[in-house]
Amino acid sequence: MTALGRYLRVVYEVARKDLLVEARSKRTINAAFVFALLIVVVFSFVFGEQVGSRDVLARGALWIAVVFGGVVGMSHAVAREGRNGALDGLLLAPVDRSAVYLGKVVSSTVFVAIVGVLSTGFVVVFLDYAFPPETFSTLLVVVFLAAAGFSSVGVLVSVLMLHSGLRESLLPVLLIPLVVPILLAGTELTRPALSAPMTSAWFRILVTYDGLMLVAGWMTFEYVVEG
Amino acid sequence: MSIVSVAGVSKRFGAHVGVSDVSFRLADGERAVVVGANGAGKTTLIRMLASLSRPTSGEIEIGSESLVDGRAGVRSRIGVLTHETMLYEDLTARENLRLHARLHGVEESVCEELLETVGLAERGGERVAGFSHGMGKRVALARALVHDPDVLLLDEPYTGLDRASLDRIEAVLEDLDDRTVLAATHDLERGVRLADRVLFMNDGRLIEDASADRFASVEAALERYERLCRGAAGIGAAGSGRKTSDGDGNGNAE
Repeated sequence: MTALGRYLRVVYEVARKDLLVEARSKRTINAAFVFALLIVVVFSFVFGEQVGSRDVLARGALWIAVVFGGVVGMSHAVAREGRNGALDGLLLAPVDRSAVYLGKVVSSTVFVAIVGVLSTGFVVVFLDYAFPPETFSTLLVVVFLAAAGFSSVGVLVSVLMLHSGLRESLLPVLLIPLVVPILLAGTELTRPALSAPMTSAWFRILVTYDGLMLVAGWMTFEYVVEG
Repeated sequence: MSIVSVAGVSKRFGAHVGVSDVSFRLADGERAVVVGANGAGKTTLIRMLASLSRPTSGEIEIGSESLVDGRAGVRSRIGVLTHETMLYEDLTARENLRLHARLHGVEESVCEELLETVGLAERGGERVAGFSHGMGKRVALARALVHDPDVLLLDEPYTGLDRASLDRIEAVLEDLDDRTVLAATHDLERGVRLADRVLFMNDGRLIEDASADRFASVEAALERYERLCRGAAGIGAAGSGRKTSDGDGNGNAE
C-alpha cells in the first residue's frame, strides 16, 4: 500500500470508528439533540409572539441551536477520546497524525450536520416556520459547510482541552468566539430573500473560513497532541 | 547493535523539569526496567519514547531513525502498554484489536491469536466497558502487540492487577524474549525479574544504569536506589519492602 493509501486508510478508520462508537452509545448525538431542541423551544416560548419577522426568529434559533448543540456534542466526543487514553492509541498509528485529525473532522462533520438537519426540523415544528422549498438545497449545502468549518476548528480546540480539568467550561469559551463567522454566514445565507446565495460574499467567507481552519488544523494537530 | 538510542533527552513543563538530560542505549533484544518513585520522570520518559510527547531537547532514535523528527513509519516498530488501556469502552475487545490492526496495516487474523494468547478468546465479542481492570490490561497488551513491534514500552504494567492477570501478563512478556523491552515500574521484584538492566531515576535524572545481575536480591536493589536518592537529593527515600516509595512518602510496600 502506498503512503497516501495508508494515510487515507487511517482517515477512514478513525471516522468509521467514531461513527460506530456513536451509533452504539448515542451519547454525543443525544446530548446535542436535546440541547438543540431546548434552544428552539425556549426561542418559541420567549420570542414567539414578540418578534415581528418569523424569518429572523427562525434563522437565529436555527444557527444558535447548531452552534451550541455542536459545542455540547464536541464536549462529549472529546471526553470519550480522553477516557482510558484512547486518543493516544490512535496517535501510535505509523502515519502522519494529521490523518487522525482529518478522520475526526469527517465524523464530527457528520454529527454537526445531523444536528443542523434536526434543528431545522425543530424550527419548522416549534416556530411554525416553513423554509421555502426552493431554499432546501441551499440550506443543506450551507449546513454541511458550516458543519465542516465548525468541526475543523472544534476538533483542534477540543483536543487542546483534552487534559484540562476545566474542559467543560473552557471549551465553549474558546470555541464559540472562533465560530462566530459560521453563525453570521449561516444566518445570512439562509435568508429566503437572498438571491443567488452560492455567489454571495457570505458564501465565499464561509468557504474561505472552512479552508483556512482545515489547513490550520491539519498543519498544527501533531504539535497540539504531542504537548 | 543498539535499537533504542536516547541522547541528552530533557522535557520541561514550564518551570518544572520532568526529565533532565537522560541518555542510554538498548541493544536489540535487551530488557531494561526504569525504577523510581512517583514524579521521578518514568512516565514522561516512556511517553517520549512512544512519541506521545515531544522532548524539549535531545534525540531519540529507534533503529537508526529519529523518532522526534523522522518519518511516522518508525512508530510501527514500537508497542506501548501504559496504565491506561487506550481502548474504546463502547467497542468489543475484538473490535478494538481490529481497529489497531487496520491502523497499523496488518492482517486482522492476528487479533484472534492475540486474544487467545491473553486468555480472552471467548470474551472477545464483549464490550470493554464490562471488563475488569485486569482484563482490560490484557486486551491492552494484545493491542500493543498487534503489529508485532520490535520494541515494547511498558509503563506500570503490573499496577492494580489481580493474580490471574498478573501471571498471564508476566507469562506473555516472558515469551517475548526476542523483543527489546523497556518497562517503568514501582514493582522492583517483578521489574528486576523481567530485566537485564536497571535504570534508576530520581527527580527526572537517570542516576544509575546497572546490570540486573549486580543485585543479589530485590532488597539490595532497593537499598542501592535509596542510597542513590539520598546522595542525589540529600533526603532519604522513605519506604520499605519490595516496592519503591512514592514522592510524598506514601510507601507502596507490600
